Amino acid sequence: MSANLSSVRHTRGYDIVKPLSITALLIFMLPLVLLPLSSIFIFGFSSGLQSFWAALTTPDAIFALKLSFVTSFWATVFNLVFGLFAAYVLARYSFWGRNAIIVLISIPTAIPTAVAGFALLLLWGPYGLLGRFLPADTQIMFTPYAIILANIFVTFPLAFGVIMPVLETMNRSLEEASATMGATRWQTFWHVTLPSLRGAIVGGALLTFARSVGEFGSTILVSGNLSGMTQTAPLYIFAKFNEGQVEAANAVAVVLAVFSFVIFSILFFARDWLETE
Amino acid sequence: MKFRNIKIAAVSRLSLVLLVVILTACLPGPVSQPGNRNITVYAFSIMKEALERDIYPSFAAKWKREHGEEVTFSSSYAGSETVTNQIIQGAPADIAILSIEMDVKRMVAAGHVKEDWRAAPQLGIINKTAFVILVRPGNPHGIKDFRDLAKPGIKLIHPDPVSSGGAQWSILSIYGAELIRSESETGEADSEKAVETLRAIWANVISTPGSAREARTQFETGYGDALITYELEGILMKQAGTPVEMIVPPATIMSEHPAVVIERGLTPSKREVAYAFRNYLWSEEAQKAFVRGNFRSVTSETLNRSNPALAEIEQPFDIRYFGGWERAYHDVIERIFGGKVKSSR
Amino acid sequence: MKADTTNIAVSVEGVSKSFGSTKVLSDINFDVHEGEILVFLGASGSGKTTILRIISGLETPDSGRVIFHSRDVTGLPARERGTGVIFQSYALFPKMSVEKNIAYGLKLRRRPKKDVNQRVDELIGLVHLEDHRKKFPSQLSGGQQQRVAIARALAYEPEVLLFDEPFGALDAQIRTRLRHEIRLLLKKIKVPSIFITHDQEEALELGDRVAVLNAGQIEQIGTPYEVYMKPDTEFVATFLGAANVLSGVYKNGRFETGASAIELEEPISLDEGSRAKLVVRPEDVFLRRPENLQQHYQKLADGTIEEVSFVGAFERLLVNLNIGNGVTMVVTRPKTETAAFPFQGGESVSAGIVRFRVIPAESRMGGRENVDIVSVS
Repeated sequence: MSANLSSVRHTRGYDIVKPLSITALLIFMLPLVLLPLSSIFIFGFSSGLQSFWAALTTPDAIFALKLSFVTSFWATVFNLVFGLFAAYVLARYSFWGRNAIIVLISIPTAIPTAVAGFALLLLWGPYGLLGRFLPADTQIMFTPYAIILANIFVTFPLAFGVIMPVLETMNRSLEEASATMGATRWQTFWHVTLPSLRGAIVGGALLTFARSVGEFGSTILVSGNLSGMTQTAPLYIFAKFNEGQVEAANAVAVVLAVFSFVIFSILFFARDWLETE
Repeated sequence: MKFRNIKIAAVSRLSLVLLVVILTACLPGPVSQPGNRNITVYAFSIMKEALERDIYPSFAAKWKREHGEEVTFSSSYAGSETVTNQIIQGAPADIAILSIEMDVKRMVAAGHVKEDWRAAPQLGIINKTAFVILVRPGNPHGIKDFRDLAKPGIKLIHPDPVSSGGAQWSILSIYGAELIRSESETGEADSEKAVETLRAIWANVISTPGSAREARTQFETGYGDALITYELEGILMKQAGTPVEMIVPPATIMSEHPAVVIERGLTPSKREVAYAFRNYLWSEEAQKAFVRGNFRSVTSETLNRSNPALAEIEQPFDIRYFGGWERAYHDVIERIFGGKVKSSR
Repeated sequence: MKADTTNIAVSVEGVSKSFGSTKVLSDINFDVHEGEILVFLGASGSGKTTILRIISGLETPDSGRVIFHSRDVTGLPARERGTGVIFQSYALFPKMSVEKNIAYGLKLRRRPKKDVNQRVDELIGLVHLEDHRKKFPSQLSGGQQQRVAIARALAYEPEVLLFDEPFGALDAQIRTRLRHEIRLLLKKIKVPSIFITHDQEEALELGDRVAVLNAGQIEQIGTPYEVYMKPDTEFVATFLGAANVLSGVYKNGRFETGASAIELEEPISLDEGSRAKLVVRPEDVFLRRPENLQQHYQKLADGTIEEVSFVGAFERLLVNLNIGNGVTMVVTRPKTETAAFPFQGGESVSAGIVRFRVIPAESRMGGRENVDIVSVS
C-alpha cells in the first residue's frame, strides 16, 4: 500500500513539488514585480475610466507617446541594420581587433544612461567637440534627433547581441551550399542567411524598441524636455509625477506597461512560430 | 532580388512601400509648430502653474491685441541649477526664470546672458516667496522654527543644493534666521551657534531630491516628518487637499527670482517678443497673476495683501542681509555649508 | 572496373595549398572519368576536405589547376563552377520545403517556372521522396535528408558531384544500406562523383577507384583491389587493413632479411642492394610444422607461437620469427586452417607466405626503419 502511495505522488500530476514551486515563484514575483505593476493600474484608474482617458488624451500626453514611439522606431531601424551588419562581419571574418570591436559594441550596456546622454552633449551639444561646427539652425541636440541618437546609443548592443550568437552558431555550410549551387553573396544572404535569422531579427527589434520606448536617463539630458516638442513618454511621466499630477503620470505609465506586455508576448509567442515555421 | 519569382518580388516590394508609408507618417512634429513667435521658457520647478495658467495666456492675448500675431510657449521645468546647466550645454531656451542669482551669473560667464541684466526693472527680479516648513497634520513634533528641525529623530526632506536653487535659499534661511535670533537675544550674531544648528538640522536630512518640486512630491507620498520649501508650495499643497500643516518661522528669507533673456541664437524678431515678454513680467497684470499664483509681488506690497493665503512674517529678511548673493554663496553655501556642514556628515 | 581514359570529366593538376605555415596539400594530381566514382580515403588532417573545397571553388589553391571537361575553372568562384556538393551535415535550407530546396539552384539560374516544376518532380521521383515534398528538413530522417541533398545538387546538372563524408552523421546500420543505394543511384545517373571518407570499408565498397591520402599527398590511386592487394607504400598497406611489414634488402631479384630470402614474383624498379620492405597481410601467412611447409608457399622463416586467441570467425596468432633478434608477426587463420593444423603457444612453426608486396624503404613514413614489424588494423 505504502509503495503505491509514493508512486501515486509522482504520477498523474500528484507531484507535490510542482504546485509548490509554482506558488513559490509567484510569491517571489508578487512584491517584486506584480504589485508595483498593478499599483500603476490601480492609481491609473482610481478616478475612473473617464479621467484616465482625459489624462491620456491631452495633447502633451499624446505627443509624448507618439514621440517615444517614433524615435524608438528609428533607433530600432538603425540598430537592427547596424546589428545585422556588425554581427555578419564579426561572425564571418576573424581579424585582428575583432574581440575589441565586440567589447566596444557591448559597452553601452554597462554605461549609466545619464552618462550616455552627457557624452552625446559633450560631442554634439552646441559647445561640444563636433556640435560647435554645426550651424545654429542644424543643431542636433535638444531636438527629436537627439532622442534618436540617445536611443541608438543606449540600445546599441541589443539587436547585435541577439543576432550575433545565432549567426555564429549557424551552420556555415548552408551559405557554402548556396554558393556552390550558383548563388551570389547577396542571394545567399537574402535567401539563406536572412531567413535563418528571422527569429533573432524580430526578437532583437522588439527588445531594442521596448528598451528605447522606456529610455529616460539619457533622453532627459539631450532632449531639452520641452512638453509638446521634445518630451518623450518617460519624461512626461516624470514631469507629471514631479508636478504632483500622479494621475496624468499613471495614465501614460499604463500605456507603456500594456505596451511592454504586448511586446514581450509577441516576442514569446512569435519566437516559436518564427523558429519552427 | 535576382529571382524572377513573382511572389517573392511582389511581397518584398509591397513591404518596402508599406515601410516607407509608415515611416513618413511617423516623422515627429511638435504639437505647436514653433515659428518666430514661439518663446521657449526654461524655468525652475515651481514656476509652472503661474506661468501656464496665467502669464502665458494673458501675454499671448496682449500680444495678439497689440500685434495681431499668435505667440506660443514651450517650457521645461527642473531645478534651477539643472535648468542652468541645460542652457549652458545648449538647450534652446529664449527665457530663463531661475531661483537664484548665482545661476544667472554662471550664464553671464558662459556668454548666454547680457552682463547688464540687472538694468531690467527691480534689478531683474520678477517675484519672491518666503521659506516655510511643512509638517504632518497636528504637527506631532511641535515644530515652530527652523531650530526645532535639529531635534534628534526628525526626518527631514530637503532638496539638493547641488541642483536646486530652493535648497540654497533654504540653507540661507536657516542660517540667517539663527543669526537674527542670536542677535536679538544677545545683541550679537553668533555664527558658531548658527553653524551648529545648521549641522544638526542637516544630520536629520533623509533625502535630497533634485528640485523643490521633487521634494514636495516625495513628501506628499508620505515620506519624512518635515520639508523646508517655498511658501507657494505649501499653499498649493493645502489647496490640493494634501494633509499638511504649514509652519511659518518667525524669521525667514524671501527668495527672489530673476528672469533673463538668453541671447544665444536669438533672431531679431524673436528678440523683440522675448524682451516684450520679459518686461511684461513686471506689468501690473503679471504681478497680479504671480500673487494669484501665491508668489509675492516685487512691485507692490499692497498687491500681496490681496491674497489671504500669504502668511504674515515677523522678521522677513532677504539676500542683502548677507551682503548680496556673491557673498552669501561664498560665505554660507560654499564655506559654511559645503566646508563645515556637509563634510561633517 | 577501369574507367575509360579518353573520357576525363575532372582533372586536378599539381594543386598545392597551405594555410598559414601549414602545408595542407602538396602537388595533387588526379583525373575523374565520366560516370566514375573516385573516393579519397584519408585520416582527419590528411587534406581530403581541402581537395573537395578546392574542386568546388570554396577554396583557392596556391598553385595548380582544376579542369572541368577541358575548361580551366581554377579562377572561377564556387557559384560559377556549378558543382554539386553534398555536405556532411547535408546543409539543407531549414526554412525551405523539400521542393524549394531542390528548386533553389534552378531558380538561381532563372529557369522558367514550368521547367523548374518538371525537373523537381523528376528528381523527387528519382530519390523517392514523393510523400515528403512539402515537408521541411527538420521533419525528415537522416537518410531522407541525404536524398534531398543529392536531388538538390543534381537539379542543375552539375559536372561533378562532391560528397563530403556523407555517411558520417548516420548510424552504422543505415550507413551500409545507404552506401549501396547511393552507388546504385550514381551508376544510374552516371554523374562523375568524388567522395571523401576516413572509412576504408566505405572507400573500398563505394569507389570505382580509391585515392589514399596521407599528409597532403596522394600515396596511391587505384581500384579497390589494387590499393588493397598491391599497396605502393607502407602507409597504404597499413591504412587499408592490417599488414606485417619487415625491413630488408633487395638483392638478385630477392628480398632478403636476416637468413630469409623471398623470391619476387613481379619485377620491381629497385636498385640492387637498396633497402626495401616486405608487406604481408596476416591472412596471407600460413603456418605449418617446420617439416610440413609445402612447396607453393615461399618460406619466410621459422619461429615460435607466442600467443593464440580466438576472434570470432578466425584465429589470431602472434608468432616470433627467427629473423635477426626475433620479430613478432600477426597471423590470422580461418576455421578450415585451424582445424587441420592446430597450434598451441610455444610450438615451433615455419611461416610461409602466398601473397606479398615488396616496396622501397624510402617511404615518407620516415623513422620507421628500425621498427621491424608494424601491424596496423
